[in-house]
Amino acid sequence: MGEREPSKNTLASVIDHTELRVDASYGDIRRLCLEAVKYRFASVTIHPVNTPLAVKLLKGSTVKVDAVIGFPTGAFTIEGKVFETKDAIKKGAEEIDYVMNVGAFKAGNHSLVMDEMQAIKAAAGYLVTKVILETCLLTDEEKVAACRIARETGIDFVKTSTGFREKGATVENVKLLRQTVGEDVGVKASGGIRTTQDALAMIDAGATRLGASAGIAIIEGLKE
Amino acid sequence: MKRQALARMIKTGVQGTDVTEDDVRQSIERAKQYAFIAFAVDTPYLQMAKELFEGTGVLLTAPVSYPLGGMTLETRLDQIAFAIKVGAEEINASLNFNAIKSGDFSTVLDEIKRMAEAAGDDHDLIVIPQLYILTNEEKLKLCHVILEGGVNAIKTNGHGSLCRPEDVALIRREFGNEFSIEASGGIRTTAQALELLKSGADIIHTSTPYGVLQDAE
Repeated sequence: MGEREPSKNTLASVIDHTELRVDASYGDIRRLCLEAVKYRFASVTIHPVNTPLAVKLLKGSTVKVDAVIGFPTGAFTIEGKVFETKDAIKKGAEEIDYVMNVGAFKAGNHSLVMDEMQAIKAAAGYLVTKVILETCLLTDEEKVAACRIARETGIDFVKTSTGFREKGATVENVKLLRQTVGEDVGVKASGGIRTTQDALAMIDAGATRLGASAGIAIIEGLKE
Repeated sequence: MKRQALARMIKTGVQGTDVTEDDVRQSIERAKQYAFIAFAVDTPYLQMAKELFEGTGVLLTAPVSYPLGGMTLETRLDQIAFAIKVGAEEINASLNFNAIKSGDFSTVLDEIKRMAEAAGDDHDLIVIPQLYILTNEEKLKLCHVILEGGVNAIKTNGHGSLCRPEDVALIRREFGNEFSIEASGGIRTTAQALELLKSGADIIHTSTPYGVLQDAE
């Protein structure tokens, strides 16, 4: 992006406006949805339990409802995640962000991770599906291997982080993911993106979607 | 307190994003040398844990909507059905914290009833109220709702919090012996465990049981 900044609308259109706090209330979900409509964010990223409320509030808008699955540990069976995905879609979710089974992956069970990706992608049908890798727990070699699987399955996005661990997205990780997945798979940077500068750095590094709870500060921080 | 007696008041387990099958296996082999009450693993490892604990008398605990409580009732029921299928004896279910923080106790009550019904009489349902994010008023209201829903065991907090002795004391004082109170959240030392037991906890939940046992006689 270099010296030129994107317009507010352009930047907003790649942000998933996120509310996943354990102590969020319906009021927080309402605020999130109203803000998402006002700023024209890509989606609201929420827990499945809040899907019906968000669907109701976003009816008639272009903002998608993005539900997290197997969140935040990813330590669920494939069948369990598939059930949760279908249930979220039945309730109106339009995008799916699921957490990869990191434990199995780190144990070298790449075939399980591929089966899982294919199963969730199949359950989500034509809806945009993102796999959360939790990059802070992976070696560079593991990140590359996960991205290769993503490329092979044709999933829509690889996503860096849940935001529930000490470390979220880094420029280096986003670059590495982008380099490995090529042009056909999206890269979602998430976790710790708080300022306009953070956001633009992630896009520069190759991110095509950003997950953030600070979306408004990010947009308002544009110089324009 | 004697080490063996304290071990009989501990529930433990190994859970988390990067926990591998080997980690689970090793943790279970080590835990088998103690008389812990129960052991929790994430759903992909329930079946294996069931086999490894065969004949030991250690109860197997299955997590539901753990730890953030953001899963729908339908997903929770699916997880409970799975837990029963693989032979788990106990179910630890995070409640719908977003509903609780919204004062929507009718939804919370309905969900507890449905989960209790799914767990049935043969499986202990222990719910997690996440006391550390609640006001005192919310804690008491919620505990009434939990009892009304037919559940009489709570695990005070989920992952990543600190169990406060005053929270345990509050529930014990208000509800007497109606609840089994399992103290949980950041319990790492013998001193912490003893203080929580003194405050009214029946059981100590910790992912670091050996640290908790270390200073016992």
